[in-house]
Amino acid sequence: MTTTVYSARRVITMNPNRPFATHVAVRDGRILGAGSLEELKGWGKVELDTRFADKVILPGFVEGHSHAFEGGVWKFPYVGYFDRTGPEGKHAPGLKSIDEVVAALQAHEATLPKGASLLAWGFDPIYFGGRRMVLADVDRISTERPVVIIHSNFHVANANTPVLAKAGITRTTNVHGIVKDAKGDPTGELQEMAAKYMAYRAAGVELAAVLSDEQAVWRFARVAQLAGVTTATDLHNELPESTVEGYLKATGSDDFPIRLLPAFAATSVPPAEGVVRLQALTKKNNDKLRFQLVKIVTDGSIQGLSARMRWPGYYDGTPNGVWNVGPDDIDRILLAYHRAGFQVHIHTNGDEASEVGIEAVERALAAAPRWDHRHTLQHAQMADAGQFRRMKALGMCANLFANHLYYWGDIHYAKTLGPERAERMDACATALGVGVPFAIHCDAPVTPIGPLFTAWCAVNRLTASGRTLGEAEKIPVADALRAITLGAAYTLKLDEELGSIDVGKRADFAILDDDPLSVPPGKLKDVGVWGTVLGGKVFEAPKA
Amino acid sequence: MSEPIPFTVIGGFLGVGKTTLLNRLLRGAEGRRFAVLVNDFGALDIDGGLVAAHGGDTIALANGCLCCTIGDSLVTTLLGLLERQEQRERFDHIVVEASGVADPGRIADLAVLEPRLARDGVIVVVDAAQVRERAADRRVGDTILRQLKAADLLVLNKTDLAGDLPALRDWLSAQSMAPILEARHGDLPLDLLFGLDRTGASGDGSTVGAFASWSYQWPEPVERADLLAMLHEAPGEVLRAKGIVRFADAPDRRAVVHLVGRRLDVSDEGPWGDTAGSRLVMLGLKPVLGLLPRE
Repeated sequence: MTTTVYSARRVITMNPNRPFATHVAVRDGRILGAGSLEELKGWGKVELDTRFADKVILPGFVEGHSHAFEGGVWKFPYVGYFDRTGPEGKHAPGLKSIDEVVAALQAHEATLPKGASLLAWGFDPIYFGGRRMVLADVDRISTERPVVIIHSNFHVANANTPVLAKAGITRTTNVHGIVKDAKGDPTGELQEMAAKYMAYRAAGVELAAVLSDEQAVWRFARVAQLAGVTTATDLHNELPESTVEGYLKATGSDDFPIRLLPAFAATSVPPAEGVVRLQALTKKNNDKLRFQLVKIVTDGSIQGLSARMRWPGYYDGTPNGVWNVGPDDIDRILLAYHRAGFQVHIHTNGDEASEVGIEAVERALAAAPRWDHRHTLQHAQMADAGQFRRMKALGMCANLFANHLYYWGDIHYAKTLGPERAERMDACATALGVGVPFAIHCDAPVTPIGPLFTAWCAVNRLTASGRTLGEAEKIPVADALRAITLGAAYTLKLDEELGSIDVGKRADFAILDDDPLSVPPGKLKDVGVWGTVLGGKVFEAPKA
Repeated sequence: MSEPIPFTVIGGFLGVGKTTLLNRLLRGAEGRRFAVLVNDFGALDIDGGLVAAHGGDTIALANGCLCCTIGDSLVTTLLGLLERQEQRERFDHIVVEASGVADPGRIADLAVLEPRLARDGVIVVVDAAQVRERAADRRVGDTILRQLKAADLLVLNKTDLAGDLPALRDWLSAQSMAPILEARHGDLPLDLLFGLDRTGASGDGSTVGAFASWSYQWPEPVERADLLAMLHEAPGEVLRAKGIVRFADAPDRRAVVHLVGRRLDVSDEGPWGDTAGSRLVMLGLKPVLGLLPRE
């Protein structure tokens, strides 16, 4: 029985009884205590480890809304506008023009075997001054093999001529989601179902398996670990046998660097079947893999123009969005999992969707009263103060999409929500004031996983163009740090086990180069992550 | 490449009776192999004796039909089915049950993008007792109206439970161009809903209740404008037409004419290669068809 005491520049515990310390002691993968070296020596023989002496130790970050599919897409080249870090710590620089994207993919194309399709992801043309990618751009990459470039929102794609030809898409094709130019010719841009269909057609159905196989979950774990994450969700998965097997194998390895919580996709099978399936899966839980969550997706996304909004709807007059699970169908699903004792995470982007989610929980509680259910609205981006009060009254949690403020805040301000509602979107200060337990998230791969960046968004509320989006909804750094640790752990019912540095909890730490409470709030996102500790095992992040 | 498979989407809000229609289809699919993609097996009423094999997310029936659950992704389920069919089985028709809140027109678009499929029709089932109230609901009304607009054929179901049927019919006609078929428990002739078999051949004058089919044959090439005008001007009671036609302007080509509701498609399917002449079959409501000219 070894007891290791780590010295640190500062230990930030999230435990109000002892918020700061200089040392933390670890035994059997758990936290023995935080305090001074003198105090910790009282536990008996200790080994002092000083490798973090100039670092700052926090509870390991908890990402409450991400997708292991982040690890899947890194199999393919990233061509986004913003810099991003890959699984091996490799820095993928943002590509600042369509020409840069084309050049990067031309180079990649030369490495592919004959006949293989080329898939890329993360493309985002919204900062190119209105210029869209067209067929001529993509054809410069190849006119031989199918090329599909998936946009950062995963709902739009650009294809080349062979892809269109194979599907017989011409100027006479009258299908929703095929973008045409002023002359009526297809530009190669495909939206929604058309985009998804053509991506799968080009890549083959095995794409789905590739996106969540064992290698994918390893890559996901590495990307997460680089950002200081020790616990992450895979918040929507049908959990086919092959995926479960991969997850079990990966999490069975001592070297697997995170704890993983998949959320079962509730609509993938009828509820009665799903409950039995999930109950069986919970028997397979191990220290790093926990089946216990359920996910229901109600509406679409705000920027995808598919969110369900209450009156007066989209600022630019776009018609209201679409339901995946609507008000007439949600009870059947929610109630089954609620009765079985599971915690349900409900995706709601628009405020009408949030309303439907809240009312469904209200009815479920009336039908089957249950304490401490912690059903959580995921995103709840447009929820207003009244909706937060209802969530509070019902014992619900919220996980707010703070990264949206930066990545799409300008679009929300100008087009989708308009200034007033954009300034109160992802209302962390309201949640805090009303007392709704909340987390903040990235929804990787939609935006990169990086809890310090997410916290920076909640604290500064800056858009990509530099606009402050809602002074009144900013929260203090300490609260933002809580939201990415203990707050997120609470929304996953893990707060008794992790999320703070407290006696008996799991020894999961984020090791930072600097003190997030001392740097200027505007620099929070720039605080370096040295690595993590998971259950007492040290994982140093590779340096790019 | 083999001939594309007809692809039909059945849409309509939750609880309108889509499954009843599918049950009828699976029971009455004599001689035609349907692959049916559904949201939930549980709702299907499949006689245990009819099940040939149960494979988790598929059920193979003794009559050659196959049911698949859609699970979380229609796109991957459909592609999986097409691959399966290339390897082993050949289906005569694919039918997708849209979710109760989906826009069935968007799903039918898949058949336009997929050369292995031929878009057949979008059938939207309407609950006569509920539709107007639900269409006025602030949260689902727009979803229902989108479904009605997307329809090629409307099946007005549960008419026995409806109040003022003529007023409802008028209201539906204002929401959608599609012809309206009335039914009680999805009791409609399958040919009307899912078209005739591959050859377009069907017994002349076959009738089911209020419905009839009517066939035409022309030994000589047909004037394109005349035929299209006849179909465009056909009364609303003509619900379907399918023909294999030699047009006078392209007598060596095989044109396939396909009408579902008000939607007319004419496609070129290669060289004529046929000894018989042009033929066309129409399906519709009995009294009107009887009045159409034979020539």
